Amino acid sequence: MDFAHFFMSWIDLQLLSLVAIGTFAGIYVGAIPGLSVTMAVSILISFTFSWEMYDALSLMIGIYMGGVYGGSRTAILLNIPGAPSAIATAMDGYPLAQKGLAGEAIGLSTTMSAVGGFVGIAVLGFAAPAVSEFALTFQPRDYLLLAVLGILLVGSLSGESLVKGIFAGALGLTIGCVGLDPLTAQERFTFGQIELWGGISFIAVMIGLFGVSEALQQLQHVDSEAVKQVIRRIVPQWSSVVKYLPISMQSSLIGVIIGALPGTGGDIAALMSYDYAKRVTKNPEVPFGQGAKEGLIAPEAANNAAVGGAFVPMLTLGIPGDAVTAIIIGAMFIHGLNPGPMLMIERPEMFWFILGALVLATIFMLIFGLTGIRLFVKIVELPRAVLFPLILLLSIVGAFAVNNSIIDVYFMLGFGVLGYFMKMYGYQIGPVILGVILSRLIDDNWRRAIISDQESLPRLFHGIFTSPLSAVLMIAVILIFVSNTPLWSWGKRKLFPAQP
Amino acid sequence: MKSKLLGAVAALMVATAPALAEYPEKDIQGIIQWGAGGSTDTVMRAVTPHAEEVLGGKVVMQNMTGGVGAIATKYVGAQDADGYTLLMGAENPQLYKVMGLGDTDYSDFTPINIIARGVPLIVANNDAPFNNFKEMVEYVQAHPKEVKFGSTGPGGLPSVVTAMLTSEVELPVTFVPYDGDGPALTALQGGAIDVMPAVLGAAIEGVKAGRMKVIALVDVAANPALPDVAPITVDYPGYEKYLPWGPFFGIFVKNGTPDDVVQKLSAAYGEGVKNAEFVSLIEGRGFTVLNLSGDEARSFLNKWQSVTSWLVFDAGIAKASPEEFGIPRP
Repeated sequence: MDFAHFFMSWIDLQLLSLVAIGTFAGIYVGAIPGLSVTMAVSILISFTFSWEMYDALSLMIGIYMGGVYGGSRTAILLNIPGAPSAIATAMDGYPLAQKGLAGEAIGLSTTMSAVGGFVGIAVLGFAAPAVSEFALTFQPRDYLLLAVLGILLVGSLSGESLVKGIFAGALGLTIGCVGLDPLTAQERFTFGQIELWGGISFIAVMIGLFGVSEALQQLQHVDSEAVKQVIRRIVPQWSSVVKYLPISMQSSLIGVIIGALPGTGGDIAALMSYDYAKRVTKNPEVPFGQGAKEGLIAPEAANNAAVGGAFVPMLTLGIPGDAVTAIIIGAMFIHGLNPGPMLMIERPEMFWFILGALVLATIFMLIFGLTGIRLFVKIVELPRAVLFPLILLLSIVGAFAVNNSIIDVYFMLGFGVLGYFMKMYGYQIGPVILGVILSRLIDDNWRRAIISDQESLPRLFHGIFTSPLSAVLMIAVILIFVSNTPLWSWGKRKLFPAQP
Repeated sequence: MKSKLLGAVAALMVATAPALAEYPEKDIQGIIQWGAGGSTDTVMRAVTPHAEEVLGGKVVMQNMTGGVGAIATKYVGAQDADGYTLLMGAENPQLYKVMGLGDTDYSDFTPINIIARGVPLIVANNDAPFNNFKEMVEYVQAHPKEVKFGSTGPGGLPSVVTAMLTSEVELPVTFVPYDGDGPALTALQGGAIDVMPAVLGAAIEGVKAGRMKVIALVDVAANPALPDVAPITVDYPGYEKYLPWGPFFGIFVKNGTPDDVVQKLSAAYGEGVKNAEFVSLIEGRGFTVLNLSGDEARSFLNKWQSVTSWLVFDAGIAKASPEEFGIPRP
């Protein structure tokens, strides 16, 4: 009986159109840097207050699914991720567009986003209670290890020079520390400025480093010809879908788990699965960073899978998996539900309804994503003298829109100039963003972990090696660390002498 | 496509441009001190739409967490006193002075509405080796520093409740800081912390579902939401002098905001809090509706500050004496 609610949004014309409108709007919200899904959904809470709950949820779910996907559009076409979860997408998506393969790249990312979305929903539908119990077992030390694992991605993101990458990563971590310390309200790096108490807006940093610096760089070649885009096919060939299916499934599973963890979301999931893809892909057709399709597929599958993941603890325990599900909990509360561990028992139909609407939104995402690409890729064929001033304008509007604060615009412009010089001197900007994303996670959880163990390092390590989960994470940290050092290749030569 | 983009830009610019009209002539910003999904957040998001109807304007709410609510408080304090930035907070700023967290408190703000009061509850992980307050005290004393209490920073509900408890019994525990009661209760279910003093409303769903157990109800009378739990004063009458005590939720504007704006906001939120739907939501979560504004709200705030400041000072966890700030002993 309750399961019938799965199809509720499919057969009710109004709900169906609300999911469709939400998904369509979400793609554009996601594509414009500075307009975030979190922002859109929190505005919708007030906007849909007088609506029926099912109507409001349909719209929010559409926006969520569409928005997570939409960020990839501008990442591929302009090297400007529309949302933090699309940062990893830009790294191989943009080189593809530079080669004139934007249509193919968007087609592939759309299909794989849908695969990711379906994997996330399937896990939500079949294994939600088990996954949420698993997510709850993560202790502060596990979040710390996860964050350290994340920091090691600097190795993948730093391009030619690891030293420059480490420098950029450290800069990001420092930027993330600015503001009042979240646990004790001590001022850090604020120089007595009230404007810095709340920290530097992460979105402003992102728009500046990616958007403005790209525009500044491109303006140097303002009179050169735009890359002509060849659009042979948009819907990827069945054979290539099959070929990349394993990597997209694996990335999706990473996405679901990271998404289900309260405290980590699609941005970290996408970066981690990018790194994973880079490690497991033995012989990419094109090297990573120059347009490897695996590098495009992995983050796109992971960030959409994280959507289903984020609903796992939310629907089973009333614990939000990320910022958007936290707001949807608020929406359910004001519509008279009590989101919590009893929701699945008292109102099981809500579970099935949300599941059905998520599937529907993923289908719409696939449809809207694959149509209209021809028009969309025309953006990159615009003359640069028109395109880049437009990007600057969008960046300013986007940075302002985050907090309605002019300070964010100044920071955005400042980081734009910084990013321009970083690129000029061969510093990658990926590690900076990574540092900013992970700063809070490391800071809070390191302190929680060490306080929990009575401020004793031996006790902390004892805890790490006696818990299976922590031990696995620790071993992953050690392996990835060693594999980035000369020790690894030396050991490999010793143990497995080269075949004649 | 270009025209579409330009259109979007133009629309955004129109939306952010100031217009000349009566208050509210543009969107009002509501700064919530605590994280999404926590009790302060849910209360604010539930009441505001009702108030918006009366106000005839939009309140765009945003969570600004950290520093026991100080980040949000200082932020709103730094904005113009024009009624376009509301502080949506809990009780914490009333303790900033004695806790050494700066020189602001709600006396720098004008109360719009003190919405409701909560009842503190002490909950524990189901696997914790104690089932009631007495057993917990014995266990903690036998295993000093081993039991982990969740906290929300100096001056947060857990620290005040613990101050109250330690005025009667010794409790050598380790405090692990979290961003709010929501994340801390999540950590409790995963065993990262053992005990969490939280407001009843935030923990009640978890208790009902059997995901955590009640150690003590920190009140003088049993609560309708938990009829089987005896109040802590039955076994420990010494706590009667502090109780009933509870965290509260209130909406504030910076001092100096024009009177007519304060009146308008107070009227709107006064109606919003009275809304039957909101009342039943809030009472279902174990909160007591207060709906105070003007002088009533001020005297509530002063009384609360005097009781609590001296409580934490006498417990030895305050950094400064309430006397220094002219806070009278109750």
